[in-house]
Amino acid sequence: MFATIMKMLLRRLLVAIPTLLVVAALLFVVLRLLPVDPAAMSLPPNATNDEVAAMREAMGLNRPLPVQFLIWLGQLLSGDFGMSIAFRRPVWDLVSEALPATIELAFLSMIVATVVGVAGGLLAFYFRDRTAEAAIDFSSIVVLSLPEFLWALMLMLIFGVWLQWLPFMLRLDPQFERPVITGFLLLDTLLAGRPDAFMSALRHMILPVMALGISASPAIMRVLRSSLLDTYQEDYIHQARLRGLDERRVLLRHGLKNAFLPTLSLMGVQFGFLFGGTLLVEVIFSYPGLGNLMIDAIRNVDLPVIQIVGLAYCIMVLVISTVVDMLYLVLNPKLRVR
Amino acid sequence: MSLLSVNGVSVAFANALGTFTVLDKLTFELQPGKVLGLVGESGAGKSMIGRTIAQLLPNRFHVTEGDLRFDGRDMLKTGAAEQRALLGRDIAFIPQEPLAALDPVLTIGQQIREHLDHIGRGAGRRPERDWRKVAIEALDAVHLHDPAGVLDKYPHQLSGGMCQRILIAMAFLSQPKLLIADEPTTALDVSVQARIVGLIGDMQRRHGTAVIFITHDLRLAREICDDVLVLYAGKQVEFGPASEVFERPGHPYTRALQLAIPPAAGEHRGLFTLPDRMPGLMSLKQMGGCRFAPRCPLAEARCHEVPPPDVTVGPGHRALCHKPEATPGIAPPPALEHRHRDPDAQLLFRARDVSRHYITRARLFRKPDTFPAVRSASLDLAEGEFLGIVGESGSGKSTLARLLVGLEGTSGGTMELLGRDVSGMDRGTAAFRRENVQMVFQDPQSALNPRRRVGEIVTQAMEVMNGSRADRATRAAELLQEIGLSPEMAQRYPSQMSGGQKQRVNIARALCTVPRLLIADEIVSGLDVSVQAQLLELLLHLRRERAMSIILISHDLSVVRYLCDRVLVMYRGEVVEQGEVDAVFANPQADYTRKLLAAMPGEGAPAAEKFAAEEAFA
Repeated sequence: MFATIMKMLLRRLLVAIPTLLVVAALLFVVLRLLPVDPAAMSLPPNATNDEVAAMREAMGLNRPLPVQFLIWLGQLLSGDFGMSIAFRRPVWDLVSEALPATIELAFLSMIVATVVGVAGGLLAFYFRDRTAEAAIDFSSIVVLSLPEFLWALMLMLIFGVWLQWLPFMLRLDPQFERPVITGFLLLDTLLAGRPDAFMSALRHMILPVMALGISASPAIMRVLRSSLLDTYQEDYIHQARLRGLDERRVLLRHGLKNAFLPTLSLMGVQFGFLFGGTLLVEVIFSYPGLGNLMIDAIRNVDLPVIQIVGLAYCIMVLVISTVVDMLYLVLNPKLRVR
Repeated sequence: MSLLSVNGVSVAFANALGTFTVLDKLTFELQPGKVLGLVGESGAGKSMIGRTIAQLLPNRFHVTEGDLRFDGRDMLKTGAAEQRALLGRDIAFIPQEPLAALDPVLTIGQQIREHLDHIGRGAGRRPERDWRKVAIEALDAVHLHDPAGVLDKYPHQLSGGMCQRILIAMAFLSQPKLLIADEPTTALDVSVQARIVGLIGDMQRRHGTAVIFITHDLRLAREICDDVLVLYAGKQVEFGPASEVFERPGHPYTRALQLAIPPAAGEHRGLFTLPDRMPGLMSLKQMGGCRFAPRCPLAEARCHEVPPPDVTVGPGHRALCHKPEATPGIAPPPALEHRHRDPDAQLLFRARDVSRHYITRARLFRKPDTFPAVRSASLDLAEGEFLGIVGESGSGKSTLARLLVGLEGTSGGTMELLGRDVSGMDRGTAAFRRENVQMVFQDPQSALNPRRRVGEIVTQAMEVMNGSRADRATRAAELLQEIGLSPEMAQRYPSQMSGGQKQRVNIARALCTVPRLLIADEIVSGLDVSVQAQLLELLLHLRRERAMSIILISHDLSVVRYLCDRVLVMYRGEVVEQGEVDAVFANPQADYTRKLLAAMPGEGAPAAEKFAAEEAFA
């Protein structure tokens, strides 16, 4: 089992390298096609043409595009991620501050999506052919038809502005100082021994996490329910009943365990989308993650930042799909043994 | 006192169109330690009886009347929890598809442990070792090798026969009073079949368990059952001691089923083909008289109008018929005359030393590990000849078929078709072969595209030719006529047809290009004997009309004996014997052939003795 997983990881890694290269090349080329001149942007507005030309020369912008790409790649590999044009700070610093925030957001959202989706799927299946199923079905369609940013706005208006139950800006109440240990705020507040700060951070996360998690859940619910319906056609379910097992046990031990496999493959895809969804939700909640960084960078045509953040998104999606496949391997004995 | 007494039990299915009776006033008794056989065509309601006893009827099905007592308990009045407590403990089930009946994501050990917990023999708070010991003993009792190792395996790592042994072991863990075995050997090989039947018999005697054995195999029922109940369209048409029922059948249906099976030994005779098929649920209401009347060779006017009486035809032997005394008069058609091969027939196909290896493990820098699926097989086939290939699963018979038809390339050897070398896989050869050799696949359910109409399916071969729509429609009508279906069927989808009809369509598709050789891979396995007889007649009809050759792959030796001129026996990838059918059956040369013949139900020693003799088989 361990060997199979290592083999799969190795294979995934081998695929990841060309994937990242292609994404990097795409980002690079597309951004160079934009009608902006990074050299001119790096200089004060009163710079002379000669100064701009000199800057272009220094930045290597007058070389052929493939050469520029290779130079950039070489810098990346040596750990030089470049300087942000707008913030005048190393890109690495900006990304390493924003990335943990987005990971926290996405991770919690996935948990919410999984819990809501699986619970909904089980309930819809349990109440199959009854009125309750129609109600669950109806609400899932409603949820499915609203995009996550609308959920974000709605939740913000209801629970933040109108009821004023929850905060909807930034990550902490202003009275707390942000401890930096791992970069993950929830973890850091706990490590720093500040449960009050932890609670504040958690309260700040509820609305964005709900917006993302809820909108990702209907797909999970629907696939789980239909794969439960399929599973219940199988002989082993019937045989389990003939052995006298009660319905609850048949559902949770035999039904869910088998029906979860197709659901899991969908969740991999779903979580990829969820990552994309963080972008707008972060902006709506002024959440200082990759999404806000990206929007700022785009607004300022901050090419070095856009490139690295783009790559970071790509890596996240690759990691998630690898983790999901690994789980699949662990849960499905048929794939494990060769 | 009887263990199980069923008195006038009816089960109905209700939907928007009304209520339809599925089982009609069933009445029978089962004594402790006895074996009752339930026989009849599929759709007769055999499995429904087991589900009724378990009180696990599908949605919209319910018991409408009658009295069902198990061990003195009124089963129709027991609550769900009480019922569940009986299931798995006092009443155990052995399923039809052993591989599918075990949960694929749990190990065998986990599943046995769950069952032990349910029946109260489980570990509870006892240490791990304890339940393992019980489980290992149980698996040992069903003659599984390395029971401790099996506990940690998943179902897909085991064969169907092994899974069935595990399910039998689980069923007997609780020393049940009643065992319901629903076609427990249908999905298994003949050789494994005999051993599983022997094992069930062995366990049944040891534990004094009563058994309800559901099967469509009449020979098997005769061999192992004390009593037999024949079911037709939800009606119990005959009930009595097995020897009585099969020696002196009172109902024409029982007799017709018996005569539809090709004899495994002795005199050759023709097959009685029951026309048409069993009436569906919906049409039963309109039938005033006997439900079998439309297919009955003895039917007269009153049979269609007056419901037949339940007549006692012998000691403990009842039949639901107006004139059971006439039943023995139903005679089989005369034996086939085709048996003598035409000595002047031209050679159609010749294979020499054909082999096929599969790579089991690719290696860097070294020769890969290979598994020989077929080892230098040679055969000659004359025009118009019927050749049977027999052997257990994994013997390479299906692989050989795929090589002959060109679905797979050979690893060595030569093949000649009509004097032309067809060993290669190049385009010209493939086209030539396609024109002359066609294959019918085993399972019509998966071989027919469910989204296409029958007319399109049977003329699929014309898609590569330049035929107009009208040409295709005409050809489809011809083909359907030829295989005995009405041309209107062309508009149907496969899902709207019965199993036998689908298999006909499957055959018709292969006939579209008028091939000289048809390779039929297990095309009658899993079908009812009545449908099987119809299909065998169809093949004979095709041979008469078209002078076509057939290679019939089958695990059913009696079918091969009935239909084929010559037989080829395969074992572990090798052809161990080939020759004229009668010669091979009367005087088998290879050890394996002898064992295969002995494993046939209804032949030689009873299953239990056979079982002991066949332990050396594996």
